[in-house]
Amino acid sequence: MREEKPLNIYGQTFESRLLIGSALYPSPHIMQEAICASQSQIVTVSLRRQNSVSAGEDFWQLIKDTGLTVLPNTAGCHSVKEAVTLAKMCKEVFATDWIKLELIGDEYNLQPDPVALLEATEILLQDGFKVLPYCTDDLVLCQRLAALGCEVLMPWGAPIGTGKGLLNPYNLAMIRQRMPDTTLIVDAGLGVPSHACQALEMGYDAVLLNSAIAGAGCPVKMASAFNHAVQAGRAAYIAQAMPEKDVAAPSTPTMGMPFWHQN
Amino acid sequence: MKEYRVAILGFGLVGKVAAMMLHKHHQLSIFEAACDASQNGAGALAAAMLAPMAESVNCEVDIAELGLEAMAMWPELLAQLPTNVMFQQAGTLVIAHNQDMGDLQSFMQRLKPIRGHHAQRVLGADIAKLEPDLAGRFHQGVYLPSEGQLDNLAFYQQSYAFLRQQGVQFHFSQNVELHPQSHKSGIEMVNGEAFDWIIDCRGIGAKEQCDGLRGVRGEVARIYAPEVQLQRPVRLMHPRYPIYIAPKPNNEFVIGATEIESQDSGPATVRSTLELLSAAYTVHSGFAEGRVMAINAGLRPAFGDNRPRSSIKGNVISINGLYRHGYLLAPAVVRQALTKELL
Repeated sequence: MREEKPLNIYGQTFESRLLIGSALYPSPHIMQEAICASQSQIVTVSLRRQNSVSAGEDFWQLIKDTGLTVLPNTAGCHSVKEAVTLAKMCKEVFATDWIKLELIGDEYNLQPDPVALLEATEILLQDGFKVLPYCTDDLVLCQRLAALGCEVLMPWGAPIGTGKGLLNPYNLAMIRQRMPDTTLIVDAGLGVPSHACQALEMGYDAVLLNSAIAGAGCPVKMASAFNHAVQAGRAAYIAQAMPEKDVAAPSTPTMGMPFWHQN
Repeated sequence: MKEYRVAILGFGLVGKVAAMMLHKHHQLSIFEAACDASQNGAGALAAAMLAPMAESVNCEVDIAELGLEAMAMWPELLAQLPTNVMFQQAGTLVIAHNQDMGDLQSFMQRLKPIRGHHAQRVLGADIAKLEPDLAGRFHQGVYLPSEGQLDNLAFYQQSYAFLRQQGVQFHFSQNVELHPQSHKSGIEMVNGEAFDWIIDCRGIGAKEQCDGLRGVRGEVARIYAPEVQLQRPVRLMHPRYPIYIAPKPNNEFVIGATEIESQDSGPATVRSTLELLSAAYTVHSGFAEGRVMAINAGLRPAFGDNRPRSSIKGNVISINGLYRHGYLLAPAVVRQALTKELL
């Protein structure tokens, strides 16, 4: 059995391993109820489209009212300059040095731009931010980000909003195996609770998701389902799953059974 | 019924509907913050679609059913006006590009059952029959036959002219601070004038006095495109917000709408403009040479549950929070709010 440790994000520890988004809900009240049902302790929020600090105040207050730790993000940014400027605005609005750094490289599948991500990460770390970069599942990119000083990495499961689950479990497993001391969070692309469970079973420290909950027929119930899935996945990881085998091994020995029952 | 002196605060959509319902029975005075009747409130920018089924995807069934009730009330309200205002019930066509079929599927899954109304799955040939201009462009969609729309600009202009003619008093450039008296005299004061009843229809203008009211920014384009012929509103699946193209009289189309959690009512952004217009262009290439008549931004007044709310304090009736459902709900919500005391 593995040793249980709480989720660690830049020295702060959390019981819940589900980070939840705040966009696309049918209403702010449903968002608040879903966040509550998810038992998440960290909520991520986008500031890109509000245009000014005062313009978004009402909605951001709703986020603050959840009492959760806020992880602002730079969703919608396409250049290093945009992301750095927005990170500074996030710091002002939410009084936090955490930033989920999201820098889009392709408009259609919203794939993060690995090159610009490295550049922006370096600038923000030097500025004193605690950066949580949203990246592709590329081992070398993850290693470079960690070498810059990122203690948390957020590789994607699949493109944002697709709900396809873990498209490349091999890559994700490799990153986990090669970077045992980095906090790893699968971010984006999850569709159903079993996807989250799978990520946690693989040893990922947490998952971050939004559309799978906000876009469900009943976001509140789905939030609760993801909470259970994440707990199940983590428990399975701690319990250590049996190794996969190619040949069947009966759980009941056949010795002592009548021979006509042994086929 | 006793005739009262009634002040209506705000001459947006809700104020207009309230005035149209009350002018026969009571003496009305309307106080509006804008300097004239050609204001740019949310109701003036909107596409004025009556889409209870399509909206049911993101609202509760009772709201959608209230929308059906309101839709049945519009013809009677509009019939009071001396000139015909376009009111159409030819359904809504919902379509998606191949890459966005997942969004169409999710839309269909989330359509709520509303008594006696059904969505129809349509294929290329049905789409071509409904909208010949879209033949060959789209191969799958959903048709919502019971939905409709109206010409809100005509409604705005004509209701103002009509109510003036009926002797309703108008006071523009009036920022009213409301302090409900709840005193025994039953008299409420508005800018020094005494009234028996006040109907507060200020929408986002009442934000300071309305706990939990917020603005939700929406951006909308109005395009003149004679090359495009659409018979009914068309909704295009979009990953961030439902984009619709609503055909209005004289070859004009209202294309909207973004939905951003922001109080910023400043001009439309380049990004939103690109998103709206490129979406329209992908539906019909005839929009390419269309003329951009206007691109505006407004704030939809909404409460935390995105449901409308009405209340009575003293002799003040407040109606607010119609969110993106102004035309869908206004007649029913206003009638509910006014029935006991004034209708």
